[in-house]
Amino acid sequence: MIFVISFLVYFGLDLTPGDAVSHMISPELAATITPEKLEAMREAYGLNATFLERYWIWLTSCLKGDFGYSMAGGVAIKDIMVKTIPATLELSIVALIISTILGCSLGILSALKKGSATDSGLTVAGMAGVSIPEFFFALVAILIFGMHFQWLPVGGRLLPHYETLLDRIPNIIMPSMVLALALTAGAMRYSRSSMLDVLSREFIKTARSKGLPEWRINILHGFRVALTPVVVLIGFRLPLLIGGSTIIEQVFQWPGIGNMFIRSVRASDYPLVMMISLMYVFVVLTASLLIDLLTALIDPRVRLGKE
Amino acid sequence: MKKLIAVISLVLAQLLFVSTVSAQATNSNQLSDPRVRQALCMAIDMELIKSTLFEDQIIVADSLLPNGPMKSPNLPDYSYNPEKAKALLAEANWDNDRVLDTVFYYGDQLTSDLMAAIQGMFADVGVKMTYRLLQGDVGAQLNSVPEDGVNGPAAVDYDLGYGARGAMVMQEYYNTFKTGLNPQTPGNPKMDAMIEKINSSADPEVLKPYFFEIQEYQMNEVNICPLYYQKLFIYESDNVDRNGGAYGNAQYNYNWDITNWKVNTGTMQTNTGPTEFFEQPWYNLGLWIHNKIVFDRLLVSGGAIGTDIGVSMAESYEMSADGLNLSFKLKPGLKWHDGTDLTVKDVAFSLRLAMKSPQMHALVGNTVSSIVGAEAFANGSTDDVSGIKYNIANREISIEFAKLDPNVLTTFTQFAILPESQLAGIDPAQLQQHPFWQFPIGSGAFKLEEVKMNDFAKFVPNEDYHGGVANFDVLAYPSYDGDGNLIKNAAAGKMDYGFTKNVADVGALNAMSNMMTKAVDIPYTRMLWIMQYPKP
Amino acid sequence: MKKTSLDKKFDKLRFLEENNKLVSKDQNRLISKFLNNKLAVLGLIIFSIIILATIFAPLLTSYDPIRTDLRSMRQSPSLDHWFGTDNTGRDVFSRVLYGGRVSIFVGLGSSLMAALIGLAIGCYGGYKGGWVDVIALRISEIFMSFPQIILVLLLVSITGQSLTNLFVIFILTGWGGMYRLSRARMLSLREEEYVQALESFGISTFTICYKHMLPNALGPIMVMITLSTAMFILTEAGLSFLGLGVPLNVPTWGNILNVATDIVVLQNYWWMWAPVGIVISVFVLAVNFIGDGLRDSTDPSQQG
Repeated sequence: MIFVISFLVYFGLDLTPGDAVSHMISPELAATITPEKLEAMREAYGLNATFLERYWIWLTSCLKGDFGYSMAGGVAIKDIMVKTIPATLELSIVALIISTILGCSLGILSALKKGSATDSGLTVAGMAGVSIPEFFFALVAILIFGMHFQWLPVGGRLLPHYETLLDRIPNIIMPSMVLALALTAGAMRYSRSSMLDVLSREFIKTARSKGLPEWRINILHGFRVALTPVVVLIGFRLPLLIGGSTIIEQVFQWPGIGNMFIRSVRASDYPLVMMISLMYVFVVLTASLLIDLLTALIDPRVRLGKE
Repeated sequence: MKKLIAVISLVLAQLLFVSTVSAQATNSNQLSDPRVRQALCMAIDMELIKSTLFEDQIIVADSLLPNGPMKSPNLPDYSYNPEKAKALLAEANWDNDRVLDTVFYYGDQLTSDLMAAIQGMFADVGVKMTYRLLQGDVGAQLNSVPEDGVNGPAAVDYDLGYGARGAMVMQEYYNTFKTGLNPQTPGNPKMDAMIEKINSSADPEVLKPYFFEIQEYQMNEVNICPLYYQKLFIYESDNVDRNGGAYGNAQYNYNWDITNWKVNTGTMQTNTGPTEFFEQPWYNLGLWIHNKIVFDRLLVSGGAIGTDIGVSMAESYEMSADGLNLSFKLKPGLKWHDGTDLTVKDVAFSLRLAMKSPQMHALVGNTVSSIVGAEAFANGSTDDVSGIKYNIANREISIEFAKLDPNVLTTFTQFAILPESQLAGIDPAQLQQHPFWQFPIGSGAFKLEEVKMNDFAKFVPNEDYHGGVANFDVLAYPSYDGDGNLIKNAAAGKMDYGFTKNVADVGALNAMSNMMTKAVDIPYTRMLWIMQYPKP
Repeated sequence: MKKTSLDKKFDKLRFLEENNKLVSKDQNRLISKFLNNKLAVLGLIIFSIIILATIFAPLLTSYDPIRTDLRSMRQSPSLDHWFGTDNTGRDVFSRVLYGGRVSIFVGLGSSLMAALIGLAIGCYGGYKGGWVDVIALRISEIFMSFPQIILVLLLVSITGQSLTNLFVIFILTGWGGMYRLSRARMLSLREEEYVQALESFGISTFTICYKHMLPNALGPIMVMITLSTAMFILTEAGLSFLGLGVPLNVPTWGNILNVATDIVVLQNYWWMWAPVGIVISVFVLAVNFIGDGLRDSTDPSQQG
């Protein structure tokens, strides 16, 4: 699967006009560079080989563990990924934690107060959460908290000598909150319906008939059971989250993989575009495999294998 | 009554027009007709654009060359005149259904607003136009040159292009119009001869009439439609005091006396930090902060590049009367940031490397290729350059030129010297690919201390610097002119110094109580390129 | 032949069946259920108002959305310009209306097209299987291995920016989900008795598949169409924000909102971005309400 995709992406990128060399030359200076020099650069970067040759060279070295070099600056792609992936993971995981805690507790609150004003209010708020463009939300947040009140930094991840976790918290608050916005709505909806489902089951009724206090029933029995499918769903959202952080990383100058992806797409830096998109594919495929396994573990009715 | 005036002005315009030009299309593209190009220029009300969109922060242009001693007094007048534009278009039988495809490569809001404004003004004279931002490989889509540099067809598919030419030396404006080098304008022997003339001397007084000639010729032909001269704006927060240091063309390297600046917080924050690597300093000569502070040059220029040339790492220099021999003597005790000695051998190494590296600023490229033996060295037939001789003990190097380069001294104010010990054995074609650019070692006033790519780079004062030791650090974030982060960072107090060419930024910066901006006149012309080759 | 009372009863049923009376009764139930969902109705009303406003834009405003007028730039909202004017003096209200046409067309149009393609292949593939299904399944797997925004960005960088390209890209990224969904529905419907009965009558595959089974698979597809419409509109806005969406000379909601990337505008000229930001959010919200209502009325398992 990944081979087919790599070939298609490689082929597609090859069709785009121009190459890394002409991109390296800035538009304002390009007219001053002679065609012979450009040709020499193309030769040096191996851009004059045929399509299949280049693909083959790329593929074989990839399999050997050499991911190649970014064309714009000759930096090893492995190094770029090592530097950028942790930043994205950091952001995604914080957003995931925020959205899970917030989403589950609001969803359960909503389920317990089904039909009340709180419930419908939360439902509408959840819908609004997925309906507002996230970058729009991000910009408004920057305007208010970053520029008007100056409570939070407007972007970036690290500062020199601010390496402890505590020092880094202010930088991550805004991007992770914005990223969590849409996810919270999803988590809320699922935990609400899952909780409703559980509350209607027999063992809850039994517990209730035993005269246990209502909060104990809800927390100890309902909550635990209701959370299982929610956890699976959250795992499923992680790849989506990593993809979804692209724009947010851009807005908040977050030095993650999404930021780098947009940069490399604009630079038609094939090797980098290839590796980053394949990494996304890899993450999605691995995640879906893990989810299959998890569901099978949790729910014995699901058989592994073909439909 | 209005109609009558219109008719009269139309007739008048026709009369006027006949007296100035008698031309027609030279190929299947109607834009090859000078009358059409004149009409397009006259359809744009630059004065209105200046006072509205640009908040009076630009100078309306009447030719490629900036205002100054080289400006011809006899340029044709293409100021806003919609009636005349309509008349010219009518005379040229302009095809009203044709939609002019206009490209640009600046992603900022102001540029797209300008495009919308020009679209509206063209519509007023009956010319349809659309515009689009080039993405991906901008260079190839914009600047590919036709195989046949006289008859075309064009190698690119747009009709009009909005862009800029920034130059340090005046010749740079016209050299790209040589036959076979220009993506939009077909070559012609007359133009080639004029370009030859403006490159024939290092004496401005000799060159002046030649510049007048080429300027007038081009504006009568309207190969391009000049729009405005850009100013450069340097901004500083009240955390920084230049202590008398000069303000100059910040896109390049000039004598700004940074070691004497006062920075209250002890750290000067700026932009143009690295994202993946540090760009080598021979291409965008002074664009990035590391170009300016990590590397050093033999000479130093005044704020207007090429004027008031003094010495930096050189103790003295000498140029022969014919301009073909140049020698330098280095200051004693120069050191690289890693503590090793900087010698004339490094200078010779840098020159040789520049001869073979393709990604080079035209100014530097011109100078190094003019050196005796450069050509043979570059194509690999010799191992050394006969025109470069040096003596390490005496700290002396002499360079002999095969042909006159009128701007050789300016080059050495911009040409960073690189350490041979770090780069020995490098493949010159892949200069930028060397691991050196992950953590470059230079000889400038600041040395790199810590870098997190795409996050920040921190520079500390170089204790061995020949020009004195600064008493503050520099912190650079990865943001650059026009990417929209400048104002955000400045508003959040994360910006102490930088420069921008974006007028919209200036208004916002001036509105901040802790920021000040200073406009600097630079040779930088924004224009419309007009595709005169037949369509591909 | 003598007719028994039972025959008469069946004749009556057949008459009803032939005139689609039975089906319509069933649909009425769905509609009434949908109408009982207050949010869904509210969503439908907002949705219709916005669509009608964009269609009849020329009646609502006399301004040309791309006509610049530098002399009246950056005016705050007034009776002349309800939403004020932008950086080049264009009327923002008119731009929001005309921009809505393009944005809604791209969002709704491409998800309808994607649904059409997904359904056509999914129904046939799910019911008949065969090489069509195998190939379609593999292709959809390829498309679905990417996070959506990454795939869109990749395709935009390959094909370049234009309205048509974006439309095609959205269809390309959207059909896979529709295909999977309809295929899964068909797989389960295939086992139902009425299908087997139809088969035993020797009715052609095509008729069974598209006439008899398809309508039963439509419910979830409708929900998915609304969801992907909402998603496409948000994606268009996001791409325009990155400067990779519809070219800037075409007014779309995303392109109008793009001015908010300019911090000066964001800080000082709220009318240039706030109205369009709100319109996008409200429209997407309305579409989501409709989708929610549809889900509740078509899928009994999702009730709550």
